[in-house]
This record gives sequence, C-alpha cells and structure tokens, in this order.
Amino acid sequence: MKETLSFVLNGSPVDVLAAPTETLLDLLREQLGVTGPKRGCDEGDCGTCTVLLDGQPVRSCLTIALTVAGKEITTVEGLADGRKLHPLQKAFHERGAFQCGFCTPGMLMSAKALLDGNPNPTRREIVDHMSGNLCRCGSYEEVIEAIQAVANGEYKE
Amino acid sequence: MKDVRYFAPTEMAEATQLLARYGDGAAVLAGGTDLVPQLNYYERHPEAIVFIGNLNLGYVKEDDSKLVIGAGTTLAELLASDLVVAHFGILADAISELGTVAIRTTATIGGNIANASPAADTVPPLLVMDADLVLVGPDGERTVALQDFFTGPGETILDTGELISEIHVPLLNGGTSFKKVGMRKAQSCAIAAVAVRIEMDGDTCTDARVALGSMAPTPLRCTTAEDLLKGETLDADLVARCAEAAVGQTKPIDDQRASAWYRIKAGKALIAKALSEAAGLGM
Repeated sequence: MKETLSFVLNGSPVDVLAAPTETLLDLLREQLGVTGPKRGCDEGDCGTCTVLLDGQPVRSCLTIALTVAGKEITTVEGLADGRKLHPLQKAFHERGAFQCGFCTPGMLMSAKALLDGNPNPTRREIVDHMSGNLCRCGSYEEVIEAIQAVANGEYKE
Repeated sequence: MKDVRYFAPTEMAEATQLLARYGDGAAVLAGGTDLVPQLNYYERHPEAIVFIGNLNLGYVKEDDSKLVIGAGTTLAELLASDLVVAHFGILADAISELGTVAIRTTATIGGNIANASPAADTVPPLLVMDADLVLVGPDGERTVALQDFFTGPGETILDTGELISEIHVPLLNGGTSFKKVGMRKAQSCAIAAVAVRIEMDGDTCTDARVALGSMAPTPLRCTTAEDLLKGETLDADLVARCAEAAVGQTKPIDDQRASAWYRIKAGKALIAKALSEAAGLGM
C-alpha cells in the first residue's frame, strides 16, 4: 500500500507516493526522473547509487524511500550551481577521473561527503573513504588525484 | 503480489505489537543494509515492514562500569564514539573494516547481531566482552547473554514480537585484539574473524576469551582454548596449542569466499596472531 512521502531533494521540497518496498534509487530514477544515481548492483556493493542523506553518504539502493521522510537528499544533480560545475566535477572532468562515467555520480557524492567532513584528507584517508566506490574502467588513481587537487585548492568554487 | 504494509512506530510498545501481529510476515527495518538487498532480489516477501529507526535507539552511555549501546546505534556513530574508542577498541577495529563508509552510515549494531550471520563482524568483539542483550517483546523485556542468542545461520532465540533494544558491554580488563581476513579490505564478508581478550598477571594468563566468526554456523566462543590458557604461562607453544584447540571446535564450510581447509589455516594463524598481540608477546 503506497504511503505519502515528503522530503527535500537537492534543495526543493518533494511530495510523492511510495510503496513500502520501493528504494530511494527506484523513486529517484523511475518516479522523479532523477537519473544521476545509477543502478549497478542493487545490493550496496558498487557505490554508483551513492547519495547524501542529511549530508552523509548512503546507498540509495539500500534505502527504503519511506525512511527519508523529512530528510534532505542530495544527488549529483544538486552539485553544480546552475551551469557552474562544483570543484569536484571540474577536477574529475579536467583530470579524466573516469572513462565510461557510470561510477562517477557515486564517486562525486562520496568525495563530497569526504571533503565536507575532512577538507584536507591524506592519500590514505581518501583511499579508505573511496574504497566503497568501484570503477571497472580502473580510474582510481585519477579519482584520488582529482580529490587531492580539490583539497589543495586547485579548483575554486 | 500481496500489498505490503509499512509502519514507522515511534513507541517500542507499538513496534512489538506490530511485530507480534504480523509474526513471520513482519520484516524489521533498521539500517536496511541486510534486508533491502533481499527485497530487491525478491528473496523475501514480507506482509509488513516495521521501520524501527524512529524508536530513539541510537545512543552509547557509560553506566555502572558497563557500556550501554542502543541497538539502533549506527556503525558510523559507534566509530565516532569516544566511549567506544576509549573502552572498547576492538569493536572500533572491527567496525572500521566492516562494509564501507556509506554502509556504516545506516547499518546498526542491533541489525548486525539480529541478522545472525555467522560472519557478523561486531559479534566476536562483543562475545569476548561477555556482552548481554536486552530483548523487548509485547510481554516485557528480558536480558540474555549474547553467547546464548544464536541458534543457527540467520536463527536466534528472538520470540515473535521481540526486538533487541540494548547491548550491555561490561568494561572488563585485559588486552584485546581483533583480526579478520576477507577477499579485499572494503565491503568484504569475513572468511575468518577472531577476537580475543586475555588478562595477564606477569607471564601468567588469569582469564581469557576467544571468539570466532565465519568458522561455524554461528559466531563461536572457543571455550576449549580459553580453558587451556587460564592459569598457564603464555608462550609460543601455548599460543600454538590454543589456536589448534580453537579451530578444533569449529565447523567451517566451503563456499564461494573460501574453502573450509583455508578457513582452518587462516583461522589458526589469526588466533595465534591475536593472542600474541593481546598478551603483548613480541611474536
């Protein structure tokens, strides 16, 4: 039986109906057309569906949509300011921190959560934090370098 | 397909009544990291989902020489808790290797226990600290020893309508160590995991706990190894005999992660390493 659900998505209030077993990923992609978060494994392993829940990274594929009532969700769509890219997006783009790009929405949200909590992470901290985001093209080194570059202030807002 | 109901009670009594009403048809939802993959892959078909995240079960307190941990405390909250880091370092060690950041944000310690996986990483550290669980049901609450909680893979002594509400961890003495091997560091289910706590008087062991994960149908206390240690002088030979005795109590399986043969080998090595480290032996 569907229930009403209200939450804030990328700064805007959303009111929808969600089924009890519907995940946040399903809701975002199928109902709201927010297709930044990708469906990779649907069991929490790959990380490409990562979004921020009240600023903390979560797997949208493991989050029952109804549990985000009253919370704030940020997806990759909420990173850029209009046409102005977020520093992480600029750094990933300029440094080629992806090939096919399927993992990028999750990589960016995990990286944002890291830098929000720890603006100057060590390489080790970056690697630990990003270890839950898989890139089958193998762009890990460029991802780490892009995050380091943003932390070093090479990409301003 | 039957229509699934969703409930998000804010009172424990309401939660336990809902669980009692729906019985086996109820699925308890806390962090969702174990339940939701089963829903996504149609491995479970609950009649009702009871979300317990609004019951205010997320806290860590120090009370009368024990830590009181709310079952709804997330693994990220435990890792960030000064009380846990100061008094229960092996739990923090185990959690830092459990899942990944985004899993730890939502996964709860109560869920890790109640799911009753033989590979639950928080359980061996809790076993060596003689932890108790507070179970709340429609007819009231009871306290049980964690080591009596598991009856098989995914099976526990929880009655219909019962939930874990708190974990009580006595602040016991002794050196501790947690060791785990998995396929990779992040997001890997343990092939074998070991927690030990050892109390020493000089070179002599006065009390010990050895607990294993992923080596039997349930997380396991290795009492034969513990008995070998008590009152004895700890040296390399005793450590080796204990490791041998401990794996002798296990019933590991062959699965996609590792063979039983490998689990025995790895388990033995991990026990020896953990015992030496906890006792401060330079081996």
